[in-house]
Formats: sequence, structure tokens, C-alpha cells
Amino acid sequence: MLERVTATAPVRAAQGTGPEQGREVPFRGGGFRPGQRRWVAPVLFVVLIALVEAGTRSGVISNLTLPRPSDVFATLVDLARSGLLWKHLAPSLGRLVVGASIGAGLGILVGVMIGLFTLVRAGLVPLVAALFPIPKIALLPLFVIWFGIDEASKYALIAFGTFTPTVVATYGAVDGVDRTLIRMGQSFGLTWLSIVRKIVLPGALPGILSGLRVSLAIAIILLVAAEMLGAEYGIGAYILEAGALYDLERLFAGVTVLSVLGLVVSFLIGRVERLLLAWRA
Amino acid sequence: MTTLSRRRLLGGIGVAAGAAGLGLPAFAAASKVNVGALRLVSHAPSFIALERGYFEEAGLDVEFSFFQAAQPMAVAIASGDVGYGATAITGGLISLAQKGVAKVIGGALREEKGIPGQVILASNAAYDAGLTEPAALGGHSFGVTTAGSSFHYMGSRVASAAGVDPAELQFRPLQKVGAVIGALKSGQVDAWSIVPNIAGSLVNSGAAKQIGLIADYIPDYQVTTLMCSATNAAEEREKTAAFIAAFARGAADFNAALVDRTADDADELAAIIHKYVYEDDTPEVAAKKIAAGAMRLSPGCALDLASVEDQLGWFTSEGLIRGEVSTEMLVDTSYVDAA
Amino acid sequence: MDLSLLDIGHSYGQTRVLEGISLEIPAGQVLCIVGPSGCGKSTLLRMIGGLERPAQGRVMTRGAAPEGCLNPLTFVFQDFALLPWRTVAGNVSLALEDHRLARARREAVIADVLSRTRLSDFADALPRQLSGGMRQRVAIARALAVNPAVMLLDEPLSALDAQTRELLMEDLVGLWSRAPFTAVYVTHNLAEAVRLGHRIAVLSRRPGRIREIVEIDTPLAERRTGEAGLERVQAHLWELMREEARAADAELIDA
Ligand SMILES: Nc1ncnc2c1ncn2[C@@H]1O[C@H](COP(=O)(O)OP(=O)(O)O)[C@@H](O)[C@H]1O
Ligand SMILES: [Mg+2]
Repeated sequence: MLERVTATAPVRAAQGTGPEQGREVPFRGGGFRPGQRRWVAPVLFVVLIALVEAGTRSGVISNLTLPRPSDVFATLVDLARSGLLWKHLAPSLGRLVVGASIGAGLGILVGVMIGLFTLVRAGLVPLVAALFPIPKIALLPLFVIWFGIDEASKYALIAFGTFTPTVVATYGAVDGVDRTLIRMGQSFGLTWLSIVRKIVLPGALPGILSGLRVSLAIAIILLVAAEMLGAEYGIGAYILEAGALYDLERLFAGVTVLSVLGLVVSFLIGRVERLLLAWRA
Repeated sequence: MTTLSRRRLLGGIGVAAGAAGLGLPAFAAASKVNVGALRLVSHAPSFIALERGYFEEAGLDVEFSFFQAAQPMAVAIASGDVGYGATAITGGLISLAQKGVAKVIGGALREEKGIPGQVILASNAAYDAGLTEPAALGGHSFGVTTAGSSFHYMGSRVASAAGVDPAELQFRPLQKVGAVIGALKSGQVDAWSIVPNIAGSLVNSGAAKQIGLIADYIPDYQVTTLMCSATNAAEEREKTAAFIAAFARGAADFNAALVDRTADDADELAAIIHKYVYEDDTPEVAAKKIAAGAMRLSPGCALDLASVEDQLGWFTSEGLIRGEVSTEMLVDTSYVDAA
Repeated sequence: MDLSLLDIGHSYGQTRVLEGISLEIPAGQVLCIVGPSGCGKSTLLRMIGGLERPAQGRVMTRGAAPEGCLNPLTFVFQDFALLPWRTVAGNVSLALEDHRLARARREAVIADVLSRTRLSDFADALPRQLSGGMRQRVAIARALAVNPAVMLLDEPLSALDAQTRELLMEDLVGLWSRAPFTAVYVTHNLAEAVRLGHRIAVLSRRPGRIREIVEIDTPLAERRTGEAGLERVQAHLWELMREEARAADAELIDA
């Protein structure tokens, strides 16, 4: 016989918490899924700044340790008003754009080649692994001999610094492209070029873009190093000069500009991702 | 930090002149002092004072902290991590003085006509193109380590003295002396000025050309000064005076043996200095380099206030330091005589 | 176009995967290949489609491909193999883009196959917006677009739930009834085999050999799930496979 279970069937409801009445199953899930809290970052930022401001005003933090945030802000305002900000920013942006374009462009090219050709992989993977950990700053004197102290050596340094992480990210991304998609392309008789263009590159794009995030951050880091040599203007040169003069307000103003630059780059890549990777959920 | 309870004010006592023979009252226990130094011949007085026991006799138990550049040493001295040291007057040092944390207490290296001093150099290419004297500097690039460094000051002042508007020079910051040498050799900067031993080896090897002497254009230039934290200058007078006295004895030995050559212990001093400088060279080579680079050290650590004021004026006019800065902010004149 | 497999054998390293497989695949019929998992069905199908080279034996085609055939041997994969960055129409289009087709002709083909697979309304949808069954219909539409001589289906319904599977089987039968195509249909699901196969080749466990070929005369359109005749064939197939499956299940994968 099939017993009928209706919605109103009596359930021994748990009342009280003794073993007799049963116990509610404790919740064990949750976590491991960072959500969005837009206000957290600004609040944390403001709190930190306020703490430093209070600390420097009261003297708890000596003026040798940190500058007053309000002074840094005033320095930034002065910098912008005098037009000097743009005078420093323009050459830096130029160096970033040219250097990072060369480095990332070549990096993507070489990374794709490594991903596609056995011989290239066998030859270049160890080479890239050997180049990656070289502190590019240590090569600065060499770059001066190769490329001079003008723009070329700055482009070269930034390009070199962005090249290796881009290569590694790109060939990892190409390796990660779903092989069944490539087999599918072959099974439909697609040409090699079509498979690369229509399957491999779009499939590798998410990995390449997240690699670019890292590469471009490195490019900004290297800006200061690149401008160590013979740069009269540039955010990096400005920071170095402030450091040499032990002018903490200018130092932090320059660093702030770099941070903002980092945020802008990150925002732009996010934009590009949303545009090109809309197919991802 | 050792605080000396029996703080005896030595204010105004010129420790300078014959400090060598001045037996300072020994402290009950030698007080520990960290002295900042660069591995350069100009820091020889400290090395001599330690090796010949002058620091010990002055009641100081000295340990050296070595730095790669003057700038971090100045910061370490200002923060009190290092007690005393010698550095050039730079924008960084003035900025620290403005913040009230560092003081100049005496003089060290000084340009003097007739004594080997810093040399103005031109790259071979620039020389061949006509840069054969400082008067031709207009429109040329001049190597400096950083903006506001002593190189920057020298380039600017030499130009003025030679009748060239300093604004016509392009100062190329290259961070390190080594980088400037490379740039000068390869003709990427046209001119530079540097201490005689480096200049000598560049000129002798044909890598650059000498076009003048700093002493002819910036007479009595006080190149480096003794400095300490403002706290030490104000509250540790006994110790500070003891340091200056011991340093001055080392400087006197150095001047006598290597600059004036009136003493005959040059070899012995070279051996002492070689312990700290040119360590990778053989003793013979090091001795030669040390002798070639021997510039006058201010006797008794006397300070050329006129030169200091000129430097301050230049930094201010170049906009390298903000706001007002007076000689009093930078210098504690109570320790040494004016040169 | 007919296909012949001549004494196919293959090993991966020390592992013998296929052994002495000879098969005739006549045009216009659906051949199902069943066998316990790991017996080499997918490997065999890849060899038929030219994606893999057999160590021994040969795969031969006989006769010309049908008029307007762009890709004679065309796969439908278990996991659909759709490009996630292309729309439904774009995925179908991919199979046509390397052929010199006028734009209008290409769009007509796409519209045709999408309507045959009842996807016309979803032409601009992205794969992630589709259910599993719809995704597989896109893959089938893409295969139909190149007007294949032989369709090679590798467990096309295995990733789907039972109801969706039932619906898609009906779709496939419908497509075949309207325009009969040649197909090799690999599955480990015996119910699918008896619904869709004119002939069913049963492979032994690894190394895969042909144990028996079962023919079913009932026309595809008349077959129903749970029908007595089919149930009997299915029971017979299960009898053949049971021991093989049990033994295969007890083997170490890399032994
Ligand atoms: N590329 C490969 N390299 C090595 N072994 C493989 C490869 N492909 C399949 N195999 C092995 O060959 C056997 C048959 O695989 P497969 O044809 O996928 O079986 P089926 O599709 O019948 O489940 C399995 O044991 C599998 O592990
Ligand atoms: Mg399989």
C-alpha cells in the first residue's frame, strides 16, 4: 500500500532544545564568496587618511615620518594650478603608452607563438623564465649604453618590464583554451589561421587581459626607475627629486599621482573587459 | 640613548684649533656613538680617528655605519639612528634642517686654490665640438646625481662664474656617480665636475677632458660639512664637541701627511684608509688613489659660513627648497670657528 | 557516401585500446556504437572523422559526398563545443565562414538550419543564456549547416537530463525522417541506441573489439520508448554488455 503523505501530515515540531525535541541543523555554508560592498573602500581610505592627519597634527607622527595629508593635498592643488602637473604627467604618460604598448604587444605576440608552436615553446619558455626575475632596474646602466639617456632607454625599460609578465600570462591563457573547441574547429575544416583568429585568440583573451592588469601595474612601477636617468620632467623624476630633497609633501603628491594612474589603468581594463568579454556571465 | 646628567655646557668653546692636544675630560664609561660614513677618501678623518684611538681618547666608543649615498645617511642622522657624519650641503640636508631635525656643526672638505680639488670635465665629443672651457658651457648638458645635489650647485655656480646663464645648461639627473661616469664616457652628457681622483683616472685614460678647476670658479667652496641631529647638537654638547675634536685630529693628520706633505706618515695613513676605501685594490694602487684624491679638510673643522650662505641662497633661488631657511636653522655655530 | 573501417587497431602507450575493428557504414543509415566506458568508442569516432590516426588499419570513404556538402565528416560533441563568445547564429556561421559563400547564401543556410532545429527565435542569444538541450540543438544546427555526408555524434545527449534527452531524440528522429542522413552515433546509453540506430555495434571492454552487430528493422519514426520489441533488443544488448561493463569497472584506468 502506498501511504499518502499530505501537506498537513503531522510533523513533530521542535519545541525547546533538548535531545528529545531534536535540534536545529546548524548552518555551515556561507563565506568564500566575496560580494560587493562599494562603500567599504572609500570609508577605509578616508579613515586611514584621517588617522594620519590627526597623528601628524598632534605630533604623534613626526614630520620626519609622514607628511600631513592636507599639506600633500595642497601640494597637489598647487601642482595642478601651476600647470606643472601636466608638464610632469604628459611625458610620463607618453613613456607609459609607448613602452607598455611595445612590451605588451610583443609579449602577446611571443606568448601566442609559444602557445602555438612546439619549437618556439621549447626555445623561449626557459629564456622568458630566466628573464622574468631580472630586476629591470639593475639593467638601467646597460640600457643607457644601448639606448642612450633620452626617451629610447625609458621606452625600453618599461617595454622590457611589461614584456615578460605578458608573455607568461599569454601563453598560459593560450594553453588554457578549451582543446575541444580547437578540435571542433578542425572537425569543421577551418583553416589554421581561422582557428587561431576565431578560437584561440578570443579564448585566450580573458587570461591575456588579466595578465595585462599585472603588466601595466608593473609599467607604472617602472616609470620611476625609467625616469631615474636623465629625465627633467615626469612623475617619476618628480618623485625622485622630492626624495633627494627630502620633501615629503611632494614625494607623497607624486606617489598619489601614480596611485591614481594605477586606478585609472585598472578602471580602463575593467571597461575593456566588460566590452570584449561580455559573453562571460 | 645615553643621557648625560652632568651636562656641562661647552658652549662657545672653540674646540677647533689645536684640538689635537686638548685632553678632554674622560667620561666614566666611553659613550657609544654611531658614526655614519661613506667609503670615500673624504671620510678619512673618521677612519684615522678610530684607528689611531682619537675617538677612544675623547671618550667615544665609535662604531661605523656605512652608507651608499649621502642622502640616506643624512636621513639616518636626522632620525637619530646615526650620531654624526659628514655630507655635502644638499637640498635634502637643508630640508631636514628646516624640519628642525638636523644641524651642521662643522666643516670638512673644502676647496682651496693650489691644492688638488674638484675638476670640471667635458666629454671627448663635446670637447672636440668646442667645449674646451667653462665659458662655453651654454647649451650643453651637465651631469648631476639628483636635482639639488652638490653637482647641481657646482654646475650652476661654475656657469655663472664663467659668464654663462645657468638656465642655458641642461642638468641631467642620473642618480649615481657611476651612471654619470658612463654617460660622460659615452658622450651622453657633455660636462660634469667631480673629485680629483675620479677626474684624474677619467682624464688619464682618455675618457674625458679637463676644462677647469672648481676652486677657480667657486673659491673657498665648503664641499662637505659635519652634521648631527638637532637633539645631539643642543643636548649632547660634550659628546658632540668630543666628536668634532677627534675628527679634527684625524683631519689634521690627513692634511699634514697627504695634502701639505709635511709629515712622513703618508704610507701609514694610506694603509689605515685602505681598510675602508678601495678595499678591492692592492695596497699600492689604493695608496696612489688615496694620495691623488687628497683634498684639504678644514683645519679644526672650521666652517666657511660665507660659502654655506651662498649655497643656501642658491638652493632658495632655484626653488629647490620651500619657504624660508636661514643660516641659523642650518648651522649651529657654537662648536667651531668660522673659516 | 559509404564508409568502411578496415581492421582498425590502436594503442596509447602500453594500453591497447582498439583491436581488429572492421565495419561497413552504408549511406542513409544510423549506426550506433555502444560499449562500456573506456572501451575506445570516442577514439574510434575520432579516427572515422580524421581527428586521429589509427596505428593499424584504415578508414575509407566510397562514393561522392552529396551535392552542396561543405564538410563531409561532421562532428557533434558531447559537451556541445560552442564558442561562448559567439551568438547562436555566429556559432553556426563559424562552420560556413571558411567556405566561399555569398553573404546572402550563408544567411539563408543559417536561417534554414535554425528553423529546422527550432532555434530561429534565439539566433542572437549567447550560449550561456541557453539550456543544455538548446545548446546541443545549436551544435546540431551547426552540423546540419555544412550539409554533411556523415554525422559523427559522440554521446550527444549524455550531458542532458532524461526529459531533455527524450525531446532531443524526437528531434533527431524528425530531422532524419524529413531528410535521411548517414550517422555514426556513439553512446553508452542502450535506450538511445535502440531508438536511433538502424544497426548497433556492441564493443567489448578495452581493448575494444566488435562483439556483435544488432540490426533493428522497425523504422525510426515508429519506435517508441518502452515498446516491447525494442525492450527485447535492449535486454539482449544489456546481456552482452553486462559482463564487459562489470569487468571494465573493476579495472584500473592506467593498468
Ligand atoms: N589521447 C589519449 N591518450 C592516452 N590515452 C587515451 C587518450 N584518449 C583516450 N585514451 C584512453 O583510451 C581509452 C579509450 O578512451 P575513449 O575512446 O575515450 O573511451 P570511451 O569513449 O569508449 O569511453 C581509455 O582508457 C582512455 O583513457
Ligand atoms: Mg567517450
